[in-house]
Amino acid sequence: MQIAIASGKGGTGKTLVSTCMTKILSDRNAVLIDTDVEEPNAALAFMQPVSKIKEVHRLVPHISPEYCTFCGLCAKICNFNALVVLENKVLVFNELCHSCGACSFLCPYAAISEVNHPIGVIEETQLPECGTLLTGRLKIGEAQSPPLIKAAKDLKTSAYIRLVDCPPGTTCSMIESIRGSDFCLLVTEPTPFGTHDLELSLEAVKMLDIPGGLIINRWQGDDRDLVDLSERYDFPILARIPFSAELARSYMQGLDPLQAMPALHNILTDVLHKIREVSS
Amino acid sequence: MKEILFISGKGGTGKTSLTSSFIDLADACVACDYDVDASNLPILLKPRNTVGHDFSAGYSAHIDRDICTGCGLCAEICRFDAINDDYQIIPLNCEGCGFCARICPVEAIRMEPRSSGHWFSSEFKSGQSLFFADLRPGEENSGKLVAQVKSMARQKALSENTDLIIADGPPGIGCAVISSMVETDMIVLVAEPGLSGFHDLQRIYELIKLRGIKAVLIINKWDLNPEISQEIENWAIDQGVYLAGKMPFSTTVADCISEAKIPATDSQIRNLVFPIWENIIQQLNVM
Repeated sequence: MQIAIASGKGGTGKTLVSTCMTKILSDRNAVLIDTDVEEPNAALAFMQPVSKIKEVHRLVPHISPEYCTFCGLCAKICNFNALVVLENKVLVFNELCHSCGACSFLCPYAAISEVNHPIGVIEETQLPECGTLLTGRLKIGEAQSPPLIKAAKDLKTSAYIRLVDCPPGTTCSMIESIRGSDFCLLVTEPTPFGTHDLELSLEAVKMLDIPGGLIINRWQGDDRDLVDLSERYDFPILARIPFSAELARSYMQGLDPLQAMPALHNILTDVLHKIREVSS
Repeated sequence: MKEILFISGKGGTGKTSLTSSFIDLADACVACDYDVDASNLPILLKPRNTVGHDFSAGYSAHIDRDICTGCGLCAEICRFDAINDDYQIIPLNCEGCGFCARICPVEAIRMEPRSSGHWFSSEFKSGQSLFFADLRPGEENSGKLVAQVKSMARQKALSENTDLIIADGPPGIGCAVISSMVETDMIVLVAEPGLSGFHDLQRIYELIKLRGIKAVLIINKWDLNPEISQEIENWAIDQGVYLAGKMPFSTTVADCISEAKIPATDSQIRNLVFPIWENIIQQLNVM
């Protein structure tokens, strides 16, 4: 089973929820996948040494000057403007390339091969008594996250339960992260920002037709707008985590949230039960 | 004309609260929101006379069922799993590379421009301009939409002789952030004094260094964790990043956001952010 933990707005508590759930699932050897590859934070909740690092690449074109006739076809067919053909030189802009392979396949002189371009790493960390953490970490300066997200999700696919700590937003990176999940948990907060961004992420999840529910974090009583959205999109509110200055403070220090707010254990256990009920 | 961009790496550190406050304090500026997939600045600036414009970037493949012979070549070469077993395009997966259209032996596939969202021009306060956008959920091309918003804001600033653009940036370090940084004169980093806030700050700063842009720092809610706040200050000294100011945690800011109000419209908050804004402007002017 795969559960995605996502949100529209950043900083609503995705990582708090996903790391605490991993701890709660201790005896089930959960795999937690941090697909917020631009700014991965789940590892900070465990502070364990990385046991394995896997480099991830994507393919980009490489021109063999001895075969290239500078005919310009590759530049013409590339829809991403990643190739520019000059009089006696071809410029390749790796950061614009989407690795579709069209240029290499269609070059009439077989002058284009594909070579690996590093985009980041996946760090594997053993979590004492609670499974494995896979952290995708995008190379700084790289623009495209989805290939790295996909590579991280392609590991340890046979685990009994997989949790995906997703990036904020509603773009292709978020879609790639939640894709293939059995359930999508959206973590939100009761503010106008939280409400606005939640609606956008509900739209995104709807496109993938994945069932899901909401967790309202920093709950302080009034959540009418979120209840409305929950009903409109048929995404039940599975839990409300009350606002706690103590929790905020200890989370910032890297202390265990389950100790700062003991009630959190029951709240999240209950959410996991509800997800199992829906999914079975 | 100069552009100041507010970014943080980590989401939810208070970028929009601070950006909106400085926009309120600035004598005159063009405002923009580069967080094109979850745009929050308009919630606080409450613009009017909003005009929306279609934004298309890239293409999407379409298979003509009457021509298609079902040979399967397109599905075989597509690296994005965008063609299903019935030879239909899955729009969410299609990256618009056009490989399939070029290789189809019977020319059954055509590429059509793809609408990725909208960008908006609008006015707030007494006729100041705000530009923002709305990327369709699940779309790529956030970087291109950012570039579109930026280009419109710059044109406007030039045409009305406004010297300053203040921009609220997206979280992360990926394509939207890289696009936000293009032609920006100075970046204001908004950091939160937590383990993740500090970790993310260092990653975004690496990107800023690669781009060679001047950056200054604000530590937001510093008193929630004075120890890490001090560590961030020490880091800033080591890196030569000017500390423009520190904001204490304030329930008043949270109350303002709940009511969709710019925090600096509260006099107590205004007094806190004003000296920080003066420092930012001074840093911008010494460049």
